[in-house]
Amino acid sequence: MNVILSIAKTTVGEAIRRRVLLIILLIGVLFLAVAPGLSVLSLRQDFSVLASFTLGVIKLTSAIIAIVLTVYLIPNEIERRTIYTILSKPVLRWQFVIGKYLGAVAALGLMMALMTVTLVAVFAIMGKGASMDVILNLTRAPVMFFIQMSLLAAVAVFFSTFVPPITNFFLSGGVFMIGTIFSPVFDSISSNEKTSGLVKMGAGIIHAIVPNFGMFNIENSVINQGQQIQNPTFFMLKMLLYALLYICACLFLGVIVFDRKEV
Amino acid sequence: MKNKGLLLGLVIASFIGQGVVSKWAFPQWSKDYSPNKGDLSGLSGDQMLFALGGFREMLAGILWVRADAFFDQGNYDAILPMIRLVTILDPHQIDVYATGVWHVAYNFTDEQSRSDRRYLPAALALGAEGAEKNDHTYEMFFETGWLWYHKIDDNYDRAVYWWEEAHKRDDIQQARRNILSNAYIRDGKLDKAMDMYKTLLDEAEAKFAKSAEYTDRIQRDTVESNYDNMIVRMAQRGNFAQQRGEFNRADFKYGTQPPYDVGFSGRVTVVEPRVIVVEGTWNVQPVGTRIRFVLRDTDYPEAIEGGANWDANKKVNLEPPTGITYLQDGLFVKNQSFNRRIDMSRDPTMYPLLKKDYTVEFYYNTRSAPAHMQDKFGYNGEGLTDKNFLRTDVREGQRVVYASLKLTQDQLLRVGEWSMSGKVPVVQTPNYVAVGEVNTDTFFTVPSLRDRVSFPGAPQPDPNKPPVTGQ
Amino acid sequence: MSLAIETINLQKTYKSRGGGSIGVVNNLDLQVERGEIFGFLGPNGAGKTTTIKILLGIIYPTSGVAKVLDKDAGDLEAHKKLSYLPEKPYYYEHMTGLEIMRFYASLFGIKDRAHCESLLERVNLTNDMNRPISQYSKGMQQRVGLAQSLLNDPELLFLDEPTGGLDPIAHIEIRDLILKFREEGRTVFISSHELSDVERICDRVAIINKGEIVAQGRLDDLLAGGRIEVTADNASEEIAAKLRTDDRTVSLGHGRLILEMSDSEDTGAVIDALRSGGSEIVSVIPRKKRLEDLFIESVASDNQLKGRKMSKMTGESTEPEATNEEEAGS
Repeated sequence: MNVILSIAKTTVGEAIRRRVLLIILLIGVLFLAVAPGLSVLSLRQDFSVLASFTLGVIKLTSAIIAIVLTVYLIPNEIERRTIYTILSKPVLRWQFVIGKYLGAVAALGLMMALMTVTLVAVFAIMGKGASMDVILNLTRAPVMFFIQMSLLAAVAVFFSTFVPPITNFFLSGGVFMIGTIFSPVFDSISSNEKTSGLVKMGAGIIHAIVPNFGMFNIENSVINQGQQIQNPTFFMLKMLLYALLYICACLFLGVIVFDRKEV
Repeated sequence: MKNKGLLLGLVIASFIGQGVVSKWAFPQWSKDYSPNKGDLSGLSGDQMLFALGGFREMLAGILWVRADAFFDQGNYDAILPMIRLVTILDPHQIDVYATGVWHVAYNFTDEQSRSDRRYLPAALALGAEGAEKNDHTYEMFFETGWLWYHKIDDNYDRAVYWWEEAHKRDDIQQARRNILSNAYIRDGKLDKAMDMYKTLLDEAEAKFAKSAEYTDRIQRDTVESNYDNMIVRMAQRGNFAQQRGEFNRADFKYGTQPPYDVGFSGRVTVVEPRVIVVEGTWNVQPVGTRIRFVLRDTDYPEAIEGGANWDANKKVNLEPPTGITYLQDGLFVKNQSFNRRIDMSRDPTMYPLLKKDYTVEFYYNTRSAPAHMQDKFGYNGEGLTDKNFLRTDVREGQRVVYASLKLTQDQLLRVGEWSMSGKVPVVQTPNYVAVGEVNTDTFFTVPSLRDRVSFPGAPQPDPNKPPVTGQ
Repeated sequence: MSLAIETINLQKTYKSRGGGSIGVVNNLDLQVERGEIFGFLGPNGAGKTTTIKILLGIIYPTSGVAKVLDKDAGDLEAHKKLSYLPEKPYYYEHMTGLEIMRFYASLFGIKDRAHCESLLERVNLTNDMNRPISQYSKGMQQRVGLAQSLLNDPELLFLDEPTGGLDPIAHIEIRDLILKFREEGRTVFISSHELSDVERICDRVAIINKGEIVAQGRLDDLLAGGRIEVTADNASEEIAAKLRTDDRTVSLGHGRLILEMSDSEDTGAVIDALRSGGSEIVSVIPRKKRLEDLFIESVASDNQLKGRKMSKMTGESTEPEATNEEEAGS
């Protein structure tokens, strides 16, 4: 465990110093900070416009950071040969993969926390008449994004055990898009009575296989206040469990592939 | 690796686990968070991609800010597709629906500020969709009801329907609750209006007793005064006597008894291509009469007397209407007559006049009339009659004045035999009386403490003064 | 005493694009004894790093046996007792020397800060240990590498090109450190093509070429036997041809003849032959056999490599054509 934590800690230290990530983060934070200026133009729908825009910025920025961070996570170690000094120590490969992943997620968490703090500050200062309760309710969305991006990072780590970074960037990005879009498509297919049973079954199988990134998108309920959602926290916990299981599947499979990999 | 089998087992177990959990979590997601349910076939490819992608709320927000710029520029047509896209992207942005409904229903007007009512079906469908997608809040139910109550100003049962739905939502504002009573009154449901006022008053008094806050007192006072007002008016108009079966007793006099003949007559002259002058008589002296005037395609979709079944089509279609003509105006009566020049030539998109046959309608109902008119005519036209044009079959439970005339495209465009050098197209009711010939002796007066002019014996209008004409 | 490293018939092949397979390591048999400094030599691409990676369990052999400290290569127990300094290592540049040390220490479960500091002191980095690695010179980075390789007090050290790219003073420092390792009883496995360094410190060497061991043994044994170089002027082509044998190298240009032969041959006979042919002896120099020579001898058996690698390794051109060939090849 110490080994995993050490690797994770080092990964965090490195990730939060990577210039490309910091630039993406900076752009994200900047967008958040100027967002109230954008919606000043819109006299109507102040809160919703500001909330949807800022949450969208957080999600987009986090997704890019998550992918860019993880696709280079292991390839960089190989290229710089740091992996040799580590694997020649009493470190097992699975410890290395898990440690790198946890470090990446922790770094992502730090960056997303910074954006969330900015979000809260923007709403607290710029007001739009939102009470602290409403603002705190808003932070449910970034919490879900974090779980979502952790899953995305796991998918990218899995791919990174056998495809090069640039390919992985598009592969993971593609899976993220498909996973996002397929959830509502499946919802539509399964609730449409005209759809044939065979199509529904096929959609059900795909739904059970692809990572359902779309199901983490709960921001609508916090952007548009007042919707009657029963047990939102329970749903978030369900999705956390879902993400954990999927992450485990990705990482363990990644470990199996990586274990035989010639680095 | 020694534990490869174990690890593979873990992979399989957690993968099966995620499938199970996703199946478990899905119903709640579908219920509370899914962006779209049911049929997606109405969306175009790019709309679908946006609507289902992960950034739909953000896109909706950005589009809406953009739409705001179009509002400022007055580029109203450009806003329509944006409203549609934003509501597809995020059907929970209620203000977009509310603004959209208002925009579609009110903002398209001709050069003389007549509203383009061909947009009403779109506005109503959008309102209904917004209400359906946001049935946790009263807002869109209220907004849709408001269209019927204020914009369409007819068929008040529809306003009542939407506002009763709005009332079922807990978050309805107090001021907006009060107005349901008015809708009941206009819908002829006086008992319900009374009950409503009673309920509101009880609630307001209880609330004020508890809080003793100024706003609560205002609310109580408002409801009380409205309630009292209604009771007084019902008494004046003989509604209570009617309930007691004493309405016709010779020794009881009410403003609404006996029914008063408004003596309607009307004429439409096509003075220039696409320009008409509407004139006629209405034997009512006090200011406050607005006769609805409609010129429409004879086969206008879902047309009824003096209007249309505006919510017959439930599908939201924000494409600008083309090829059909529906003009509605209000004819103000002054000095017992009306005269209005309506110029359609400057708005060829709104009045394309592409069909062969046109129907001209005059329509007056007392439910939309101001209170001092209702004092004479009653809530449902009990005190209204017309020797030639009284109709009781046009609106259920109402006595209205309705007359219609026919015009042709050639007449309206002044082509063929109706060219400017040819005959002047004039259509009129058989009883049409030129304004100067109106019998000015038989107008009624409404007692008013403020308007002394209306008292019997008050100075009469100068009969030599020419009647005020419309624009 | 058991061997520190032993490989039997070690084989590593990669699939080539054409579908065939390329052998990177072929039938490799290595025996490294405990407590010795072992030089693992060969030209670039000979399979040195591949072999080390196999021994460390970073990659897997196609066939054969690789034992390290009596355990299978890659065994975690063995890893606790060995360390590895890769060729031109890069570290997490945001970390300071001390942080790097503490990180690697934590991988062994070592939390002792003083231990890390003392090792840095040993490689003369005490003054710089709180500066980020990104500000270190190559030599300093290499010394950090050596310091981290001592964290677990290893019985066996793998040093891959430990002096590569370093200035002469750093060379000497590192060489001295390695010698100290032997004094401390550690086994050191050095992979290098810097022959002069290896020659000075190694007990035994193995020379690998194209994945195969071409020579292995004690340095003293391998370097037994010297060479003699005879230089004469006014030599003719006939006499050069007469003197040329398989064991000798003879070169002739502008009448000057340079002949190299084993010291076991009769030098006098050659001198006589030259004199009788009218040549004038300029010098007769006995040369002790050097690792370079051994290397060239071993590797040169492969014709393809002969011109290119020999010149590269020895730094002098044997024949003008060879020089051209090298330039053309580079």
